[in-house]
Amino acid sequence: MKHKIIGKGERRVDALGKVTGTAKYAEDFNVMHQLYGKVLRAKHPHAKILKIDISKAQKLEGVEAVLTANDIPGDKVFGVVVKNQAILAQDKVRYLGDGVALVAAKTKEIAEQAVSLIEVEYETLPIISDSEEAFKPESIKIHGDDNQFVHHHVTKGDIEKGFNESDFIIEKKFKTQFIEHSAIEPEAVLAEPAEHGGVIVTGSVQNLFSTRRSVAGALKLDLNKVQIIQSTLGGSFGGKDEVMTAMCCRAALLCMKTGKPVKMVNTREESMIESYKRHPYVLYYKWGCKKNGSITAMEIKCIADGGAYASMSPFVTWRSVVQATGPYYCENVKTDVYAVYTNNNYTGAMRGFGSPQVNFAIESMMDELAEKVGKDPFEIRLQNGFETGAVTATGQKLNHRVSLKEVLTKSAEAADFLNKWNQYRTSKQSPKRKGIGLACSYRGVSLGAEGTDAAGTIVSVQTDGSVIVSSGITDMGQGAQTQMSQIAAEVLGITMDRIQFLNTNTSRVPDSGPTVASRGTIMGGAAAKKGAEIVRAFLIKTASEMTGLDVMSLDLKDNYLIDTNNGERLASFNEVAAECFNKGRPMYGFGWHKSPQTSWDEHHGHGEAYFTFVYGANIAEVEVDTETGKVDVLNFVSCHDVGKAINRNSVLGQFYGGVAMGLGYGLMEEFNFEDSIPKQLNFDEYLIPTSMDVPNIIPIIVENEDAAGPYGAKSIGEPSNELAAPAIINAIYNATGKRIYEIPATLERVLLGHKLTRKGERGSVKKEEVLADSCKIRPEGR
Amino acid sequence: MKPFEYRAVHSVEEAVSVLAEYGSDARILAGGTDLLIELRKQNVKTPKVVIDISFIKELRGIESPNGTVMLQSLTTHSEIVNSKVVQQYASLLTGAASVIGSPQIRNKGTVGGNIMNAATCADTVPPLIALGAKITLKSKTNSRQIDLSDLFIKPYQTKAKPEEILTEIQFPKLSSNVKSSFIKLGRRNALSISRLSVAAILTQDKNGKITDARIVPGAALPVWRRVTEAEILLIGKKPSKELFTAAGQKVSEVMISHTGRRWSTEYKEPVIATLVRRALEMCVGDLKDLKDLKDLKD
Ligand SMILES: Cc1cc2nc3c(=O)[nH]c(=O)nc-3n(C[C@H](O)[C@H](O)[C@H](O)COP(=O)(O)OP(=O)(O)OC[C@H]3O[C@@H](n4cnc5c(N)ncnc54)[C@H](O)[C@@H]3O)c2cc1C
Repeated sequence: MKHKIIGKGERRVDALGKVTGTAKYAEDFNVMHQLYGKVLRAKHPHAKILKIDISKAQKLEGVEAVLTANDIPGDKVFGVVVKNQAILAQDKVRYLGDGVALVAAKTKEIAEQAVSLIEVEYETLPIISDSEEAFKPESIKIHGDDNQFVHHHVTKGDIEKGFNESDFIIEKKFKTQFIEHSAIEPEAVLAEPAEHGGVIVTGSVQNLFSTRRSVAGALKLDLNKVQIIQSTLGGSFGGKDEVMTAMCCRAALLCMKTGKPVKMVNTREESMIESYKRHPYVLYYKWGCKKNGSITAMEIKCIADGGAYASMSPFVTWRSVVQATGPYYCENVKTDVYAVYTNNNYTGAMRGFGSPQVNFAIESMMDELAEKVGKDPFEIRLQNGFETGAVTATGQKLNHRVSLKEVLTKSAEAADFLNKWNQYRTSKQSPKRKGIGLACSYRGVSLGAEGTDAAGTIVSVQTDGSVIVSSGITDMGQGAQTQMSQIAAEVLGITMDRIQFLNTNTSRVPDSGPTVASRGTIMGGAAAKKGAEIVRAFLIKTASEMTGLDVMSLDLKDNYLIDTNNGERLASFNEVAAECFNKGRPMYGFGWHKSPQTSWDEHHGHGEAYFTFVYGANIAEVEVDTETGKVDVLNFVSCHDVGKAINRNSVLGQFYGGVAMGLGYGLMEEFNFEDSIPKQLNFDEYLIPTSMDVPNIIPIIVENEDAAGPYGAKSIGEPSNELAAPAIINAIYNATGKRIYEIPATLERVLLGHKLTRKGERGSVKKEEVLADSCKIRPEGR
Repeated sequence: MKPFEYRAVHSVEEAVSVLAEYGSDARILAGGTDLLIELRKQNVKTPKVVIDISFIKELRGIESPNGTVMLQSLTTHSEIVNSKVVQQYASLLTGAASVIGSPQIRNKGTVGGNIMNAATCADTVPPLIALGAKITLKSKTNSRQIDLSDLFIKPYQTKAKPEEILTEIQFPKLSSNVKSSFIKLGRRNALSISRLSVAAILTQDKNGKITDARIVPGAALPVWRRVTEAEILLIGKKPSKELFTAAGQKVSEVMISHTGRRWSTEYKEPVIATLVRRALEMCVGDLKDLKDLKDLKD
């Protein structure tokens, strides 16, 4: 079918506001009499709170409230899966980002000063900063009586038998790092008392409905008394969930206490101290393989550092356990994924959600296997890769079109992979060596068996024919509003300029679950399609009465009513809309989409984990300076089956951004701790790629329309980000013959094969040398 | 950032008189790309007054009086990059200025601020020391010229007095037969402080023999200096890979003799040797490494 708007690179519906500056981000909201809220955070990563003395802070001129956990009327903790995250710490602090007390004051400066006047007496506790340490029976417990709080497993076949049948075994350990989301906008909210009780919170919130539940729980309010309104978001990447929930709860508390609006904005430093990160994993991979390159057994163990709170760890690690074998045939599988508490920042949702870690290990293993059996990376993946009808490690039969080989082949051709791979492998003279690397993946779309998966979108045609669309799905910059608008416009036969999208407000749209798991387009978009179809039916019925023609021979196209028999324009869309209203028919379509059934048997680790999957392949071409360890990524091919590209430019944007972010994951980003204290608090030391680091990227959009999505659309947000790193790491191997088992591949790791740490050496070096070595742009204070 | 008094001054005279009044309670603001970040830190001593010198016209510009190049202290990195004079007579400085920060930082950051901030990773300092730069420090009562290499005590600390202002930087022109280079190694390709850097200047006679050599590593030594121990190895010899490798190794040895073996030595030891070798190779026109010198015109 030929589409008018679907598949085009329509301008984003939020573009004009963003480029002209009229878009309002959370910090832009200011009202009369607003107070400023600030948080006193923990002084130690792990300590008992013996006493909090707020008296001096309370006495400071301009301070209107100082609150501790005791002042929370309702639930003092929140959490979507495990309810254990403190809004304000009660008896104990578990990481440096824990809030201990809150202040609301007339100015930000007074609030900051008041925070510094709060006196807290602590009894420090031993710190657990290492996930493997956390497992030990003798180690101190951070919550309850066990630091291990998640264990997911998947079993298939007989692992013993699998290893017995193998000709050889590859066994490797991999490690990944903490990653900061690095959204350009730090956390910010404005909480206002509502006219008739309750509270209205406007903020940079990703998941409005779970946040609303937590705010209502903390304040003992009904859900209808708590309105969470999404401001235009300056990025999230999964990072504006729990940390925003905590901020919304705190601002709402201060607001209810003072009866005044309260503004809270994190500085970048505060954001880095408090916000959650992507999980670092330790991954043990053991594969039994045949000389011909097939895999008879996979035994996998992953340990995720969950940090101080459960957050999304149970779900993140569940995706890991489902996808841990990669898209490869293997009859005998045993996978165990654990998450443990430590005193590091808690870890949660981040673009990829448990896949970047396992993909790094899987795709490295696949290249090792190729090397062992004398095959190339492309051939080995074609040999082992899933086809339509394959049965995954969890026992799910893939009934959709499995396009793994298609994406592999298309990207290999575009990159001239085999020629280059062979050439770079053998030319090792010059110190600067080129290399090319391949990685592929499959990924379950949307939430899968994690939980209820449904969303609603409202399409409301006005009497003049303009249209308002709103949804429970939030746009964080990824373009969800544009996708949903395009779908509504396609159904209604109107142009995009007729549509106005409203930011999400929990009191005006239905709870549509979280905007995560690359589900915005497939879920919100499917709901938009249904909503628009409902309105369309009323419009066409009206048009039929207006024209006397049968509904079957009427269509809406380019803002006109069309006679499909001859293409003649019979009336404008606006006229039809006006007439529809006059006839007393509803012009309001509420579309609700529930995803197809999935299933999960946690006991056996089996199930139809996701209702469909997407497939992608990435190829990186690098130059490695073997004398300094510097890696430059020169060229990149990113190929993904997106089902259907609703907006071509949005899809390309995801391709490019995903590669850039994946490059950071592979080469430079690393949120380091020393004894659970973050070692970097701003972007001078937390390095993300700049435009000078991002290579030339060749995007290849593959479209195998999927029955499960609107117009066949599936996902791209996270897929685009989950395999750049292993492609780069494999390219480094191709260039140097040395494999990186721990990312990021920094100068030191590439040159020396390991990371350099300052730890343990402090004090043993002469003072004058310390600064020479840890050169920063600025001193630590004079 | 805690409150402080802000004073915009419009002449050196005015600047030094405010400095004389406040002494160590004053801080000078030039481009502010180091100072403002520092003041934002929690544990930093807040000055009573911040003196904004960025409006002082006499502190701007690049001149070339009698065989020298003179940079006024407010000259920005972008101005250095675009200066024909610097390109012609001190191309290694062009190279160094071109890889500082990002376009925005180069437009705001000044050479004076780069020097006076005295971070070991300051990128214009190694070339300036290699060039034999002298600086002028002025106070209300005094004006003195010292060798740039004598300015530094340790990282972030200089011998300049609190009431002194840096006004100009002057160095002899390199003649056209003298070759120079600058290499910077960072963790990414822009907005990256130097992990290590090297400035090198080589003069050869008609027969190709090296008659003068200057090597100044950056982010390697606690206080910058020419590594004469390595330079003398080169004098009177003809360039060769072996020779340059030996010079590189010498710099590496000297570095370790200053810093001792530390956590990062395992990395810096081989890499500084490589960078010195490459910097010297670039001087004699081994073009294959020239692309290290990023986009000069930018
Ligand atoms: C994002 C970023 C990236 C950067 N990248 C680099 C880089 O790649 N390489 C690099 O070398 N630097 C880098 N810097 C540091 C900085 O930009 C440079 O050091 C710059 O040259 C400082 O100049 P300024 O004019 O901004 O100094 P300011 O911040 O104004 O001043 C710096 C210091 O010098 C003092 N001062 C300034 N002028 C005078 C004067 N005339 N007399 C006496 N004292 C004076 C000030 O009091 C202050 O202590 C970077 C900074 C940032 C923020």
